[in-house]
Amino acid sequence: MAELLFETYGVPSIAFGVDAAFSYKYNQQRSVCDKDGLAMCPGFATTHVIPFVDGEPIYKGSCRTNIGGFHVTDYFQRLLSLKYPYHMARFTWEKVEDLKMEHCYVAQDYVSEARLFLKGAKEAEEKTKMWQLPWVPPPVEEPPSEEEIARKAAIREKQGQRLREMAEAKRSSKINELENELRGLEFLLNQLGHVQESDVRSFLAETGYVSRQEVESARSKVVQSLRKQKGEQTEIEKPDAASNEKYTLINIPDDMLTAEQLVEKRKQLSIKSMSDGRQRLKQKRYEEELERERKQQLEEERRLENPELYLEQLRAKYKDLSEKIDQRKRLKTNGGSSTNGNGNSLTGSVGRGERLSAAQRERMRLLTTAAFDRGKGEDTFGAKDEDWQLYKLMSKDNDDDDDEPDEDNTELARISSRLQDLDPTFVPKVESSSQPAEAPRIRPLTKEDFQIVFGVERFRCPEILFSPNWIGVDQVGLDEMAGVSMRRLSCKDEKLEQRMTNSILVTGGSSLFPGIIERLEAGIRMIRPCGSPIKIVRALDPVMDAWRGASAYASAPGFHTQTFTRMDYYEKGEDWLRSYQLKYSL
Amino acid sequence: MKVKKMEAEVVDAELVLPNYLSFKRIQMYDKYPKGQSRGRHWKHLKQIIQAENYQNYPPDEPNYVNIESPPSMHPCKRICDITGYEAPYYDPKTNLRYANTDVFKMIRSLPNESVQRYLGMRNAAVVLK
Repeated sequence: MAELLFETYGVPSIAFGVDAAFSYKYNQQRSVCDKDGLAMCPGFATTHVIPFVDGEPIYKGSCRTNIGGFHVTDYFQRLLSLKYPYHMARFTWEKVEDLKMEHCYVAQDYVSEARLFLKGAKEAEEKTKMWQLPWVPPPVEEPPSEEEIARKAAIREKQGQRLREMAEAKRSSKINELENELRGLEFLLNQLGHVQESDVRSFLAETGYVSRQEVESARSKVVQSLRKQKGEQTEIEKPDAASNEKYTLINIPDDMLTAEQLVEKRKQLSIKSMSDGRQRLKQKRYEEELERERKQQLEEERRLENPELYLEQLRAKYKDLSEKIDQRKRLKTNGGSSTNGNGNSLTGSVGRGERLSAAQRERMRLLTTAAFDRGKGEDTFGAKDEDWQLYKLMSKDNDDDDDEPDEDNTELARISSRLQDLDPTFVPKVESSSQPAEAPRIRPLTKEDFQIVFGVERFRCPEILFSPNWIGVDQVGLDEMAGVSMRRLSCKDEKLEQRMTNSILVTGGSSLFPGIIERLEAGIRMIRPCGSPIKIVRALDPVMDAWRGASAYASAPGFHTQTFTRMDYYEKGEDWLRSYQLKYSL
Repeated sequence: MKVKKMEAEVVDAELVLPNYLSFKRIQMYDKYPKGQSRGRHWKHLKQIIQAENYQNYPPDEPNYVNIESPPSMHPCKRICDITGYEAPYYDPKTNLRYANTDVFKMIRSLPNESVQRYLGMRNAAVVLK
């Protein structure tokens, strides 16, 4: 430092001093404290306690704890961020420092203050401060009034009416079209009847139909669609009969057909199989319906003959099923969340056997056996095709888990609905609050969610100055430091000690917390012999007094005797600088 | 060495230190002729302490290291990690201290990250190197 000042900045001469000492001297000159005393300086990053004898600091008796205002702010910030993770971005360093300076105080006795808050006493309420973050309530939709509902219903009715009319109009126009077409086709057929065979083709060439069958099939189609439009039942027999004609080629063996007929035949085969399949499906569905009806009948009979027993059985089944589902869910989420937790924490070891579920253990086993099954030293996994079957096995295990619960779930739903119908005392088991953290998010955010409450934190954070253990710093707190400092001084003169405790100056930025003086007094009284005089004062300006003290020192006439110049520094060297000590009383 | 002149706006903006400072004897460009000093290596506290070699000097003389405070003799007051009340209990699974059963329920529902951060405030987090 001296090098820097001399070389780069060309300072003529320097004197080094300790800020707490300057502050003490300044206050001593203002008669705030005596020439024998103790300077306690909780600062930004450290806290110092220096004893003064005859106006000079005795560094041998000083002690330093590495806790300061920085740690208080940091603690405060962390607490708030953990308590309100949703608003974490609001707690910037500068904001938290402002909050600390405005709201934090030191409790006279931490435990009793905490108890006040725990009980929720009125004083605790008064001491709690709330910070309301800007929040805009979402626009509230008022429930529509009666007229609104009636009006909306009328409008909907009208719209429905209009749509129905349009549909009607469309339908009637379509019917008209179809009837016209039908008439035209019938007329054509009539004419065909008059025309001779050979002239059919030329006659029909104008109309666009190739043969009589086409015309007839077109006509039947039109008839059908007309019928559908008019809302008549389409007969099921008709398509069958029509399609039966189409299957003419199927029964003829292959070698008797030409090439195109073969193609035709294949087409007909596929069509027939499709319709057959459809028929079969319909049949099956019908049979299932019958089966279900029958079962319901049986159930009803059983219920009627012995209602009590039936209910009991049903309830028991319900309980079993719900338990099974819950267990499976728990297994799955436990297995899943614990592996997720393992992934989140910094450990790389997934092999914590006791946490994995059976399925995951199986996967692990498969993977490791695959890895180690090969010859030693060489990794030939994947050379053989069977190796990749491994993944199929693993995914199948997961699939099994997913399919089973669905059936159980549907069964459960069915039973619960039956129970609800039959049993007036049955309450369907609500989904257990497996995710309580999710539930609060679902309800709409209210004003209270945007309020930050400072209750216990107000006096919990500055308390670390007195109990650094709460931060993990294994050192003495502010009140004990006075004792340590005087012990280190090891003066045998009791009178001196009493004079010292009679003039304790508290300076430094972190001494601005309200309540710190009383707390210090109580703490020091605990470690001093009973009845010794204790007087603690705060410096006139804890933040700036060090500067003022140094400035007063530098303007004193004797200042130049305490400085050293560049020549001194070069001649006498580093070691001399080490033992350089400022004399504070000029 | 040629000194680059900065534009007036850059000087006014006060974002960058000016090239020439009148109160300095040795300017930056003299010290670092090859352009900006890459990586201003501030020494860490541990390095400075090590460089000072306090063990070579008599231990009675007060120096930075030996005026440090000793560990506390008073019994440590245990408070709940979450709420700040007195906490006579602690949860063996997460190692957090808690004051009553409601807090305990909350602890059990916390994600692992929060647990580690609460422990980190006390310097008790699991740190894997």
